[in-house]
Amino acid sequence: MTPKHFLPYVAAMLAVGVLAPAAAHHSFAAVYDGSRTLTLDGKITQFHFVNPHALATVDVTDEKGGVQQWTVEFDGRLNLTNWGWSESTIAVGEHVKISGAPERTGAQRIFFAKLVRADGSELLRPASNRLNSVEEERRQRALQRTAPTDQK
Amino acid sequence: MRGTRFFALVSIVALGLAGCTKAAPPSPAAPTPGLAGMYSDPPATAFDTFCFFACTDVGLERLRTLLDDPGNDARPYSELSGEAVAYQTSEYVRPRLSEAALAAAPLDPLQDPGYLNCEPWGFVRQVFAPHQLEITQYADRVELHYGEWDARRTVYLDRRAAPERQPHTPLGYSVGHYEGDTLVVETSLVTANIAGNFTWDGRHSDQLTAVERYRRPSPERLELTAALADPWVLREPVEFKKVWSFAPDQEIGPYDSCQPAAARSAQETTQ
Repeated sequence: MTPKHFLPYVAAMLAVGVLAPAAAHHSFAAVYDGSRTLTLDGKITQFHFVNPHALATVDVTDEKGGVQQWTVEFDGRLNLTNWGWSESTIAVGEHVKISGAPERTGAQRIFFAKLVRADGSELLRPASNRLNSVEEERRQRALQRTAPTDQK
Repeated sequence: MRGTRFFALVSIVALGLAGCTKAAPPSPAAPTPGLAGMYSDPPATAFDTFCFFACTDVGLERLRTLLDDPGNDARPYSELSGEAVAYQTSEYVRPRLSEAALAAAPLDPLQDPGYLNCEPWGFVRQVFAPHQLEITQYADRVELHYGEWDARRTVYLDRRAAPERQPHTPLGYSVGHYEGDTLVVETSLVTANIAGNFTWDGRHSDQLTAVERYRRPSPERLELTAALADPWVLREPVEFKKVWSFAPDQEIGPYDSCQPAAARSAQETTQ
């Protein structure tokens, strides 16, 4: 778990930071495995819209009918409010499919990436919205770059 | 405000008298730049996102080169920004770190007191903290209120030196003044602490000093350039930048739900 090399560690921290700004409160990469995605299918039992990280608990029913409680860690209220989230964005009792990066220790805890509601509507991580905007800017930039060539 | 302007006017006149045989006519005191307000995450552009925490001119230039290369159009932004960060670290930051600093790195993020014990960040991390920054300007001081950790700093504008026996504190002691459209803040007496994750991976000593320069080039944008110096950790000062967007509808909520690592483990064990 301890980083072995100076440069990759800093680069990874900051690169992940760009992807996961609000995970800055603690090191996302040290706690969660960003290379893996786990999807939970269950019912929201709690949603706390707090700092430094919003938290939800989800009851997931396994094949044998047993109920497992999972914790979902979100970006903090500080960041989520930037993208219009509020206490009522996720409702207790809602049935959802919720995806995220699992904790490295194997604990029943993920860091939120995407939520799909029963009606099929999706809720994405604020970092995803930011990256979508940036990629659109790059597409426009590429178009502008090629435009003069097309006119020749 | 009137007192400050009078003080500034007197200072200008005094400097003029000291520096010239024939005193220049006093000029009116410059207006205080309007920096007050609530700011938050930077605009969602490629370059501003790169400065979400802290960036350097070297890193920005590298990112520009990567983005301008049509061969990179198919590569995701996260990959390009990661490459620019790595370049910034290897070409700008690391060469400026002392042997002592390099020997003390890397830090184990799981041993970070902020993660372990919910201990608020020190000066370097707080200055480059993401999300909200609320600036309130008074005649004799500027208050900086950060969303992260709900932390507050005071910048004294009346040029007071630190009081005698002023102790070192995690956020240090700051004095400031205006230069045209810029608030210049000089900070010292900062407790030795962790410098990373946004600047360099490692620690800084209690000899750290900083000069922050805040300006608002447009009503929608706040920019920071900060020069950090530390004889223990830096061979020469390093300069980092940061950007915020004006966000008047934002609020800084209570920061009261931090879970120390031990509490997280206990919670997970009981599940």
